[in-house]
Amino acid sequence: MLPIIVWIAISITSCKKLVEVVPPITSASSAIAYNTDASAISAVTGLYTNLSTGVVTGNRGISFLCGLSADEFTQYSGVASSTATTYYYLNQLVASPSTIGADFWGIYQYIYVCNSAIEGLTAATSLTPAIKQQLLGETRFMRGFYYFYLVNFFGDVPLITSSDYRINVGIARTPKAQVWDQIISDLQAARDLLSINYLDGTLVKTTTERVRPTQGAASALLSRVYLYTGVYAKAEEQASAVINNSSLYGLVPFINTSTTPATQNDVFLKNSSEAIWQIQTTIAGHNTEEANMYLLPTTGPNSNPNTVYLSPQLLASFEAGDQRRFGRNWIDSIKIGSITYFFPCKYRANNYQAVNGVFATPTEYLTALRLGEQYLIRAEARAQQGNISGAQADLNIIRTRAGLPNTTAASQSALLTTVLHERQVELFTEWGHRWLDLKRTGQVDAVMGGPSGACAVKGGTWSSYQQLYPIPAQDISYAPNLTQNLGY
Amino acid sequence: MSFIAKLSRVMKLTALILTVCAVHVMARTSGQTISYRAENVPLKQVFAEIEKQTGYLVVYNSAKVGTSKPVTINAKDEPLEKFLNTVLGSQGLQYMIAKKTILISPKEEVKKNAQGSLTPDLTPGLLPPPPNPDVTITVLNTDNQPLEGASIIIKGQNKGIATDINGRATLRGVDPNATVIISFTGYVNQEVKLSNRGINPSATSGSVVIRLTASTSELDEMQVIAYGKVSKRFNVGNVTTVKGEEIQRQPVGNVLQALEGKVPGLFVTQANGIAGGGVTVRVQGQNSINNGNDPLYVVDGMPISSQDLISLGNVLGTSGGTQYGPVSGFGSALSYINPSDIESVEVLKDAAATAIYGSRAANGAILITTKKGKAGKTKIDINVQQGWGKVTRKLDMLNTQQYLGMRHEAKMNDNAAVSATDYDINGVWDTTRYTDWQKTLIGGTSQYSNINANISGGNASVQYLVGGTWHRETSVFPGSFEDQKGSLHLSLNASSDNQKFKLQFTTSYMTDNNLLPSVDLTSSALLTEPDAPALFLPDGSLNWALNSSGNSTWNNPLRYLYVPFKNKVSNLVSGALLSYQILPGLELKSNFGYKKTSTYNFLASTVMAATKPETRSTAIRKAVYAYGTDESWNIEPQLSYIRKIGNGIFDALIGSTILQNNLDNTTLSGSGYTSDALMESPVAATTLIASGSTKTLQYKYAALYGKLNYNLENRYIVDLTARRDGSSRFGPESQFHNFGAAGAAWIFSQEQLFQRALRFLSFGKLKASYGSSGSDQIADYAYLNSYYPIAGLSNVAYQGISSIAPGGLTNPAIAWEETSKLQIGIDIGFLNDRLLIGASYSRNRSSNQLLGYNLPSITGFRSINQNLPATVQNTSWELSLNTVNIKSKSIRWTSSINFTIPNNKLVDYPGLASSSYANNYIIGKPLNLNGLFHFLGVDPSTGKYLFADINGNATSSPKSTTLLNGDRTVIITTFPKFYGGFQNSLTYKGFQLDFAFQFTKQLGPNLIYFTQIITPGQFFNGTSNQPVSILRHWQKPGDISSVQRFSAGATAGISQISNSDAYYVDASYLRLKNLSLSYELPGIWKQKAHLQGCRIYLQGQNVLTITNYKGLDPENQGNSSLPPLKVLTLGLQIGF
Repeated sequence: MLPIIVWIAISITSCKKLVEVVPPITSASSAIAYNTDASAISAVTGLYTNLSTGVVTGNRGISFLCGLSADEFTQYSGVASSTATTYYYLNQLVASPSTIGADFWGIYQYIYVCNSAIEGLTAATSLTPAIKQQLLGETRFMRGFYYFYLVNFFGDVPLITSSDYRINVGIARTPKAQVWDQIISDLQAARDLLSINYLDGTLVKTTTERVRPTQGAASALLSRVYLYTGVYAKAEEQASAVINNSSLYGLVPFINTSTTPATQNDVFLKNSSEAIWQIQTTIAGHNTEEANMYLLPTTGPNSNPNTVYLSPQLLASFEAGDQRRFGRNWIDSIKIGSITYFFPCKYRANNYQAVNGVFATPTEYLTALRLGEQYLIRAEARAQQGNISGAQADLNIIRTRAGLPNTTAASQSALLTTVLHERQVELFTEWGHRWLDLKRTGQVDAVMGGPSGACAVKGGTWSSYQQLYPIPAQDISYAPNLTQNLGY
Repeated sequence: MSFIAKLSRVMKLTALILTVCAVHVMARTSGQTISYRAENVPLKQVFAEIEKQTGYLVVYNSAKVGTSKPVTINAKDEPLEKFLNTVLGSQGLQYMIAKKTILISPKEEVKKNAQGSLTPDLTPGLLPPPPNPDVTITVLNTDNQPLEGASIIIKGQNKGIATDINGRATLRGVDPNATVIISFTGYVNQEVKLSNRGINPSATSGSVVIRLTASTSELDEMQVIAYGKVSKRFNVGNVTTVKGEEIQRQPVGNVLQALEGKVPGLFVTQANGIAGGGVTVRVQGQNSINNGNDPLYVVDGMPISSQDLISLGNVLGTSGGTQYGPVSGFGSALSYINPSDIESVEVLKDAAATAIYGSRAANGAILITTKKGKAGKTKIDINVQQGWGKVTRKLDMLNTQQYLGMRHEAKMNDNAAVSATDYDINGVWDTTRYTDWQKTLIGGTSQYSNINANISGGNASVQYLVGGTWHRETSVFPGSFEDQKGSLHLSLNASSDNQKFKLQFTTSYMTDNNLLPSVDLTSSALLTEPDAPALFLPDGSLNWALNSSGNSTWNNPLRYLYVPFKNKVSNLVSGALLSYQILPGLELKSNFGYKKTSTYNFLASTVMAATKPETRSTAIRKAVYAYGTDESWNIEPQLSYIRKIGNGIFDALIGSTILQNNLDNTTLSGSGYTSDALMESPVAATTLIASGSTKTLQYKYAALYGKLNYNLENRYIVDLTARRDGSSRFGPESQFHNFGAAGAAWIFSQEQLFQRALRFLSFGKLKASYGSSGSDQIADYAYLNSYYPIAGLSNVAYQGISSIAPGGLTNPAIAWEETSKLQIGIDIGFLNDRLLIGASYSRNRSSNQLLGYNLPSITGFRSINQNLPATVQNTSWELSLNTVNIKSKSIRWTSSINFTIPNNKLVDYPGLASSSYANNYIIGKPLNLNGLFHFLGVDPSTGKYLFADINGNATSSPKSTTLLNGDRTVIITTFPKFYGGFQNSLTYKGFQLDFAFQFTKQLGPNLIYFTQIITPGQFFNGTSNQPVSILRHWQKPGDISSVQRFSAGATAGISQISNSDAYYVDASYLRLKNLSLSYELPGIWKQKAHLQGCRIYLQGQNVLTITNYKGLDPENQGNSSLPPLKVLTLGLQIGF
């Protein structure tokens, strides 16, 4: 009987071992994901892969939806009123059903990835120090980047900095100021951690591809954040840090195309020297989703994917002779019958590029941060600080490239107005700049509201509360401490 | 030395063994030899030595033998018989060898008793009457094995006695004229008058040997249960056996199809009539809301997967699993077990039967036992079967004239002109054509062939069976689609001479090459326009009916002929059971199992030949390859102990299981081939990408279990099982869990009270069990916080790095879904068990449901898997009736009926309203719910469908945002209301006729609306035809109809009607599932042909369906999947 008893005893004691499995090779557990250089790089790169198809681009992306919310686009009349984008266009978002306006609330999905990456990387002990530093910098940058949009779109938002859902489920909306503090601290940390030069997939070698955040990207975003939060000296300082790095960054002059349309714009080409941070496409044969949506086919706008063209307000805001508008650099047009549709052509490489069944290499990348904005940030920061000549100088750099004469604005208030206008025509249909500028400068009600305001022109009715997007009702019901934005 | 022999010496035997029925000594050569040298040893020692050397049992009266003289022996390799003659010759003893028992008896007594002349003449009064003799009765079975525990009752008295381990019992001072009744469970009772067996009243003792023959009662058929066998009579659990013969009477490619209508509590649905198609099996209903509901399948002790690995084309349909578990492919994994190799299938349902399987058997268990060799002459058995299959029936669809009428009326209604794309009526298609597409596309005859050959035989120590089968099924579709299977089955049983060590080894191997269409043509067969063009051009190529601008005007349904879909599977299931008897009653055994399924799938998804000519220049050829292996092994050491304690038998088992399963699945997507012909080679692709469904999974499982059974006087039975289980599918916090069950049975017919009061009752058993088992049919690694590759077919890696992202929030505490099962039942037998009735009620409650628990998106994900206290209840009333209607020498007629009333409901779901299931379930209702608008008919003024809104007002635009609210006021379920089957088996001389019906009461989609994918009158290339029943449609104001106004454009009515109660009609049916007629040739003919057996037979499956249901088939109810075929076969079975 003894061997049997021994056998039973062994069976019992080793039970735990008997049901331990090796983790799947087709996936990595979070414990392992950040413990080798390769898998940690894979996990953080996942953030960018999702960017290239997710919330920032295409027909549910920031540029498009904010452009609809603001005064940049006219929506094609054939788009059904039940289409979610119509709700953005008419400034008519509702909290429920969440399919209508939950787009940007979904950013929390990536905040989760950032938080778990920061936790995993911080705890990791076996990473190459330089790689660990760069990755930590990238994830801090990305968290700052995402919170920047969350706080702008929704106002007070729950500030979530851990991956533990049991804690996160109970977090209430955090006052904006605290969120901005977190963004600044993330971006400062990122700036200190990130590499100056662009790195390739090994995170060791440098590359010409500008598709990973660098110190320059952190400074560029930080300067924007300082501008938004009114810390003008620091905004100027950070913008200067980028502008002064002329070995990496420089404005790209327009090609003189007064007669024939430009075949390409150097500014938005991949690896353009104006680019501070770009997002690579991950779909075979694709260039940017923006090109796919905005470039109108010869048949004109349609219900999918070419649902918008440029609004009369935006077209009217260009000064005569502006090469961005009239040089067919960034705006092109197509005539259908008696109507001419103007559309953005910042991205010109058509979406699908297949030749004889083989996909062509993309020529353009979605540009998230570029030098042009930094000049405008510095101009505004300088104007705010009373540095009139400095502000004029920065503004004129942008105007000169557009083929415009130097600015005549000489007072602080005139300069601020001019900079805001310059931002409208320089940064149009990019990253919601117009929508955010209207909100942060307090002009949103004036521009959108009223019987002749942008909202009425689009066919909607403006109420001030609409400058903040609603939180999906589902989330309000699942999160015990979450409250809705006023008005919804 | 055997324990039995030892015991025989310890116990004082009072009488000698005498045989009446076999008085002559059998001098058959045993083949055994003895080598023994000894001087002056007592006979007892010699016998002991014989037992040791031969493993035979020596039975003798120690009183008689004790007085015999010691012997001196010098034997070397002496035959046993010679040895015995030498030893016994001078002692006045004789011997008899029967099987493995040597009976020793004095020579004289046999004679005297045989003569019966020694009875003294006793004069009453003069002498005191001599005491009655003590009579020893030995009860053996027909194999001369002693039967322990047989009961001996003297007729007319209530005295009874049970036999000991040697099958012996002594009646003291018994009147020789008394009649004794000997009974033993599983054997036919015998009544013996002692005096007829030579018991002499004057003798002081006597002995009688009685051989009982095995019972033919169904109650005594052995049932395979978890880790053992038990007769139906003593089974406490709810177990139904389907015998191999019943399965082999049915021409099916998958054993599960043969179980339809045979087992109470088991509901089987065939996904379609394509060879290798999916089969969904539910034992006592659906327990899990969100996870697996499949039973545990065990083949010869080795668990096999319930779902198939096949991952590409979905033409085979599912086996009920779509979203859970590591395996959820198309088709059925049980297709790879050869039905010809099956000895029996046991369906285990309640806790008493399933709890020992712990966390895997909440959904019941189906044990498949393959055939084993039997001792005896080498037997060769060849069985050849050829058959033909057809679709059971056709639907009445519009012919060209009716179709054109509908289209023109629609155009007129809409005031619409015939457009350039109205090919069906604008003259592009020849409107004088008519094609019966059902005949063309699904009207073919499929071939069914099965050739099976077995060789079996062996002796007492080794038995073997080797079998091979070739099976081929073709399709009713045009084209050379076929499923070919070759299989090999091997079974080897071996035992040591002393029967202590035993080996049982079985291997089943099958290789299956299934060439399938990538698309089921049934939908095209029904809905293609009757005037659609010819399939082929005169040159034999596909006709695309190009219009003047060179564009195809239809999607030729036969383009799939050029889209090869190949599914190759090889499946090996192998097991060895080793056992060693340490002590009598104590056995150590271990089961070793190994299983490997390898699949290869190839699907050429874009082939130029199947692409419209005008798009060929821009199309890219695409193909997918999937390679999968699913490999597992298990080791199950067990220790069992059986002994008599008190008046009962105590049977205990303790064991453990270690199981590991490794699954690898690689899916490669290729594109850019230069020719259609090269596509099966991945090398020919210009790009080859591993897709996201590529996975490597490991599953481990360990358990410790025990089972106790105590059977007191064959009257009271208690059965306890317990199991501690660990599964790698669960989080470290809850990897282990305990399961257990208690069952009890009371065989009240054994009580004298009942025996006297209810004489007509031959058997009566009440049984009840309660216990728990679990389900671990969830995905592997679900508790791990895993990062998965972000990949798609056309993805380009960001910076060349394959990026990963977290798959979701994970809960390290996820655990089993647990089902507590309560079952009570009664089994009664009348007329010597010729009429057996079984009834049981079961109530299974599944809780701890693993569901997605909603979270706000701020946590990163919208839900997390949690075990929630939601409870699903399945109750079922199961009735079965087995009768032997006629039982005579030449005729035997038996019948059986089974009937099940299932009921499923969601008992509790805390927080249902706020969960993501709020739109799918209602507390108190079944899990399968459809919320529907109430249909009010067609509006006589507009011709639109009218429905009742929530206030009961008529509306043509009912509202609902979700499935169960808004104007959806009617809630129905498509779960069956009741189901069952009945079977008859008739034998007359060499003829045998079997037929089995199956019936189900249920709801199904209404044909008239069901086939309307589009509005009647609309043209939507390839799907526009309608059933003739739409002709009674609304035509002009005032018409009362149930079919809306024809329209050439899309109408909302089509989706509204399919969401209304008009969409569901009775889909109940009664089907002659199986018919089998065979004729065994008379003996003389066989002798002349030197055959052991020769049988010709005719078999039919799905022979006749009686239903009011108007669709193609009430079972799979599809308008897009091929119904189960009607198959008729002819066969010949020859045995040598």
